[in-house]
Amino acid sequence: MTANKELRKKIVDVVCMAGEGHIPSAFSIIDIVACLYGNVLKVDPKCPDWKQRDYFILSKGHGCAALYVVLEKHGFITRKDLDNKSKRGGILGGHPDRTKVPGAEASTGSLGHGIVTALGIALGLRIKKFTNRVFALAGDGECNEGSVWETALVASNLKLGNLCFIIDNNGSAAQVLPMNDFKKKWESFGWEAYEVNGHDPDELITVFDKLKFEYEGQPKVIIANTVKGKGVSFLETHGIWHYKVPDDNERKMIYKELDQ
Amino acid sequence: MKDMRQEFADTLLEVGRADNKLVVLVGDISHFKLIPFANACPGRYYNIGICEQTIVNMAAGLSIAGFYPVVHTISPFIVERAYEQIKLDYSYQCLSANIITVGSAFDYSTLGCSHHCYTDFALLKPLQNTQIFFPSSPTELNILFKNSYNNGMINYFRVPKLSHGLDFPGLIEPGKAVVVHPGRDISIIVTGPQLRTAMAASSILKARSISAEVIYVHTIKPLDVRVVTESLNKTRRAIVVEEHSMYGGLGDDVVRTSLNTVNIKFDFISIPDRFIRDYGSYEDICEVAGFTEENIVEKADKLVRMP
Repeated sequence: MTANKELRKKIVDVVCMAGEGHIPSAFSIIDIVACLYGNVLKVDPKCPDWKQRDYFILSKGHGCAALYVVLEKHGFITRKDLDNKSKRGGILGGHPDRTKVPGAEASTGSLGHGIVTALGIALGLRIKKFTNRVFALAGDGECNEGSVWETALVASNLKLGNLCFIIDNNGSAAQVLPMNDFKKKWESFGWEAYEVNGHDPDELITVFDKLKFEYEGQPKVIIANTVKGKGVSFLETHGIWHYKVPDDNERKMIYKELDQ
Repeated sequence: MKDMRQEFADTLLEVGRADNKLVVLVGDISHFKLIPFANACPGRYYNIGICEQTIVNMAAGLSIAGFYPVVHTISPFIVERAYEQIKLDYSYQCLSANIITVGSAFDYSTLGCSHHCYTDFALLKPLQNTQIFFPSSPTELNILFKNSYNNGMINYFRVPKLSHGLDFPGLIEPGKAVVVHPGRDISIIVTGPQLRTAMAASSILKARSISAEVIYVHTIKPLDVRVVTESLNKTRRAIVVEEHSMYGGLGDDVVRTSLNTVNIKFDFISIPDRFIRDYGSYEDICEVAGFTEENIVEKADKLVRMP
């Protein structure tokens, strides 16, 4: 049973309208992003800069279609914004730009940056003695980047208990440079690590509820086991669909599978 | 005159005491110099470790959280190693930072090319929202930092080991060049500690009845176009002296000020298109690379004789 079917359809619509986009990457993270905005993050769409908000950074920026449809669902951006994605004059591009997108805390795209920015925000909030929480979502392939592991060391050394990473563990890394014993790796860097099914809203809510955020403590990481392209059989690959726009027939097939 | 690294620490202490938004991140250098800052500004000093790309990137997060971050280590390890972080995490995202480096072009003269950096002006100039300073006296460093650190820009301070040894009371402000010595026959436009060499050369030239105007540039970007243009229009001859690659430094910008002006002759003393593989003292490297008063005098002499 696939959750968030309507959001998945909207992702397909947005990518088709834009003529570009990473559908399987967005399908991989949509259940996590929907859970965060629906059940976890303290945010105010009417005031995206609200001082007491939680911060969320999509470090794997190419999955942004998932972020955009969730931001639209919660009123940060409009349907018209979605329709204008990647078009002249639009505010939404193939990677999020914080100077344009309400609710986007960092501009990402080059992998291994967003999570480090999250580290800095978490440190800044702690210096101010604020209780806001900081979340960042990175890919398992992104974890090939050295900056991820520098961040893992630094956050743990600084005892940033207000920081939580979610790793979209969809097997992308396994294609080239596998991240074996992922949970153990994070634990060995001093993080409080959890492993969940990243497509099960109940499991996700349960693990987020379990986290205890504090000024000083272990940073947290949730290894969310996911399937790239989850929900549509022929998208569930690591091949050509990574950055392919469906034609009309393929779009109908995607809709048909999601409706089953 | 005070040691430059000490002034760096003293200036941060002065500003940090007055402004609790200043946060300092270092890459395991200058640690002992900054202990007074750490004591006076609890929770706002971090010796992060040897992970420059992370230090630079996480400071962007501090900027988002409302702080004025300072990141500090040796020039190449920030500017060249973490260039993408400066480009994407600050410039692209319109975030501010203060990058203070030591080592300058070849201050680590015995350590080889890994610790040299001749490309910083060329790399940072094209990035939106950058300001580039080469403060080469303790007073300059203090004034330029205090007047810039909270201006919302990416402020780069290349701090050399040696001072040029001169003071310009009331004349130092960001973006303003200093006419150190007026002249009519040739402009010597110089940045960094080489001002000392330029002044020595101007004395020799004076003895040869050549009147050199020495223009000192502590702010590479934005360049004080007015002062440079006025000098060039007067002398029609210029030598640019900079401890930087021949590509993309102060020299290029000086020439750009006069692109549509006829009959101005230029020459340059900069680092040629090769690594400086020699070892020795700073002075040894200056000699190898041509940063000598004799070289300035020789080039000036040729320029003033040109029709």
